Order: sequence, then C-alpha cells, then structure tokens
Amino acid sequence: MAVIEVNDLRKGYADLTVLDGVSFSVEEGEIFGILGPNGAGKTTTVECVEGLRRPDGGSIRVLGLDPVKDGRKVREQVGVQLQHTQLPENILVWEVLDLYASFYAKPRDWRGLLEEWALTEKRNARFGKLSGGQKQRLFIALALVGNPQVAFLDELTTGLDPQARRTTWELIKRVRASGVTVVLVSHFMDEVEELCDRVAVFDGGRVVAMDTPSGLVDGIDAEHHMRFTVMAGDMVELGGLPGVTGVTRTGNRVVVTGRGDFATAVTAQLARHHVLVSDLRIDKRTLDDAFVALTGRSFDATH
Amino acid sequence: MTKLAIVELKLLTREPGAMFALLIPLFILVVFGSSIERGDTVLLPMALAIAVGLVGLYLLPTTMATYRERGILRRLSTTPVRPGNLLVVQLLLQFVLALTACALLLAVAGTVLGAHLPTRVLPGVLAFLFGTAAMFAVGLLIAAVAPNGRAANGIGVLLYFPMAYLAGLMQPTDQMPTIVARIGEYTPLGAFRQCLRDVWADAAPSPLLLGVLAAYAVVVSIAAAKYFRWE
Repeated sequence: MAVIEVNDLRKGYADLTVLDGVSFSVEEGEIFGILGPNGAGKTTTVECVEGLRRPDGGSIRVLGLDPVKDGRKVREQVGVQLQHTQLPENILVWEVLDLYASFYAKPRDWRGLLEEWALTEKRNARFGKLSGGQKQRLFIALALVGNPQVAFLDELTTGLDPQARRTTWELIKRVRASGVTVVLVSHFMDEVEELCDRVAVFDGGRVVAMDTPSGLVDGIDAEHHMRFTVMAGDMVELGGLPGVTGVTRTGNRVVVTGRGDFATAVTAQLARHHVLVSDLRIDKRTLDDAFVALTGRSFDATH
Repeated sequence: MTKLAIVELKLLTREPGAMFALLIPLFILVVFGSSIERGDTVLLPMALAIAVGLVGLYLLPTTMATYRERGILRRLSTTPVRPGNLLVVQLLLQFVLALTACALLLAVAGTVLGAHLPTRVLPGVLAFLFGTAAMFAVGLLIAAVAPNGRAANGIGVLLYFPMAYLAGLMQPTDQMPTIVARIGEYTPLGAFRQCLRDVWADAAPSPLLLGVLAAYAVVVSIAAAKYFRWE
C-alpha cells in the first residue's frame, strides 16, 4: 500500500519555478530517500507533503488524506524533524517531550522514548546544554512522540561528525524496524546508499530518476577503471573482451577501461592464461557517478 | 493548551529578562521613593508605566521574534496544535507578568513608602488595561517586523528610550519644551502615564486619552497581524 502519493506537484514563487511536475510514491515500511543538491526542490516537496505549504498544482495523498484539507488528521499521524529548527534554550528534555506528547490524541510514552534514544541521563538537562548529537536524537524522539505512521527526517546528519552520522544511521534503521515508514531528505550520497530502499533523485525541481540505490548505480552506463600489477606470466590481449574500451600499460601496471561488468571478463581471461596479478583494484561506481550520468554534471559542484 | 501554558510559564521564570522587568521599576521606585513626600502622586504612576513599557516593548517582542527565528512556530505547525496557540499563551503570560510587576509596585509603594493609592478601583483598572493593550500592540508590531530575536531586542530598546522621554519618564514634562510635552502626551506610553496620573489624582482618566490608547491598540495590532510571518 502506498503511504504517500504525489502526482505532478507544482510550486513556484513569483517567477521562480521550484517544483516542476514532481511525482513519486512511498510504500509502507520503507525508507524512501529524497536526494538532490541544495535548491533542487527537496525541502519544498516535503513541506507540501507535510501540509506546511500549499502547492500550486498537482495532487498529494498522505495515508489517503489531503494534507491541506485534512491537515489536522494528517498531522496526527505524521512525525516531522525539520531542518534548521531549534527549541527554547531553557526547556528541559523531559518537558519538551511531555509537551509535544500532549499535542497528539494517542501519543507514545515519552519515558520509553527517552530510554530508546539514550537520553534518560539527560532528562533534566536544558536543551541549550545538549551536544549536537544529543539534540539530533531529541529531534528524532520528538518526531516519533506522536506515534506516527510516517516520519519525515530532513537533512538529519548535516553538521554532525562522521562518528555521530554513523550512529544516527543506525537509529534511523531502528525507526524503520519499529514499523514507521521513513522519508529521508538528504544531500549525502553515502547516507542514501546506506539507508534507503528506494530513492528519488531531484534536480531542478523535477524527479530525474527513481529506483533502489543499486538500481540507480547499475543503470548508469559510464566508463570505469580496473587496475592491477602483473606479477608472473605473459600479459594477454584484453582489448577484444566484451565491455572493454581501452587498455594502457606502464611497465607492470595495467589500467583497463570499460563499461558494464567488464571486470569479470578480464579476471576470467587472466586466470585462463595463468597471469598472476596483484594490487587489483576496481573503481566502485557510486551514486555520485549515477548522479553525473543522470544530470550531466557533478553533484558536488552544485552546492 | 494547559500544558503549553505551564511549560511557557516555567520558561518565563527561567528568563532573566522577566526578572529585570520586575526589578528595574521596583529599583527606581525604591531609590526615588526615599525622597518623596507622603501622599505622592507622581512616582508610582511613573514606575507603573515603566514596568508595562518594559514588558510590552522589550520582553514580549524579543520572546516572540526568538520563537519565530528558532523555527519553534514552524515546528509547532507540523503538529496537530496550531502555532497561534503559542502566541496566545505568550500574550496571556506577558500580561500576567505586567500585572505582577504592577501589583508588586503597588504593594511596596503602598506599604513601605506610604505613597498615595487611588481610592477608586475601576478607573485604575481601565487605565491599566488600555495602556497595556497599546504597549503590547507596539510590542507585537516589533515582533512582526524584526527579522530575529536580537533585532527585536534592539528595536525594543531603541523605541523604549525616546518613548520614555516623550512620556516624561526621564524628565518631568514641565521642564520639557511645551510642544514636545504636548506630542509626548499622545504617544502610547505618554497617554498611559497621563491616564495613570489622572487616576492618582482621583479623577477619571480623560476619555480622549483612553480613546488614543484604544486606537493605538487596534491600529497597531492590525498592522502587526498584517506583517506577521510564521517563519
């Protein structure tokens, strides 16, 4: 069953088109990634789905409801963590959880959430005194305190150190394991690759691709490289193998360029002719490559 | 809603600014109070106007602009509760704070300093309500136009001093140029102080000045509502 269905969503401000016909659907129980550079329309899309913004055109259904017309019902069942929001400096951790729980008809017990998100020791701490990671955990706990069916997490790990990011990823997996559908907005490739079941790639206010992360990577037809050093045996001809587009050799070092799964053919050929190689490296294709292939430009250069 | 009010009340008591709004007018009252004669009718209205002015021009806009700046209103709009509730709760609490500050001043002035207290209650209540409404309206307008909490704080302070001067809270009005004093009488804080003085003279506050305060409250509130942004 689709938890969220978005069809031909359009939104503009003055003469600037932010969303130009966005469509996607999110299935129950998945972690759905919304990936794209800054300004691609990710946050605007999510804000329309949450009912914070009124779209100019297109249709949105969240749990079968219209987020503008049935706003209250939608907000009862949806948990949100927003980018760039803070809490009052002087509010205590338990107070804010208790307060937000009181906003919902059927909230979760916030004491359990404190435990689950390792905040029990900090229950009497002021928000302003928490570390970045602790604040982040508190925001996730707040997004879950209403016992939602869908949680939106927007740029959750921006500004966290690598260790804290890894920890946060584990936490997001736990959210999904508890039966909550997660919509994850991110501009980090590695994060999306690690966490998401399916990804919508946004660029210039449109969805340019939607697939599993590995499906996106496999779908691209870009050249990549395989490198090795010949240890023993005579080098054989590799140029004619399927997928191989070029071979260069400098002394013992060989670099083979190709498309698709040419590496399997190359290693089989080497084995057949008893060529012993070492330092074998195949450049792993990543979502970054997929993004370049989809949009024709580098991801990093755009933000 | 009740829980929201309780939490906001707790936050207000943790806010050093709230303490200042209570203590600064009290401090002024006590310092100058030692030199007043028994039955004085000038100092207490002044201290009351200062107290309400501090809450309305300084505390109220700073709190509200900070809530918007920190995205607290936006975060709230993703829950079943409307962010407007938070603004209503804040307005009520700030009103209670202004009331507390005035009650404190009246208690200290009436007992320790032996200042004159008006005999009739209703005119005093009217003057307080209209004056507070006008000051809060100005505070709301500051909150509406200030881009962040610090700016709201700055605008509040910048407005407070000229308004306090024009209202005759820094220098007696009879030592001011006549024209300035006349203008000052029709500023929100000036009209408020004038009304309080009338009340302390055991007269009814001038309907004209009450009308001026009401007009400020309505017109400025409408402007604030028009310019207010949730994010």
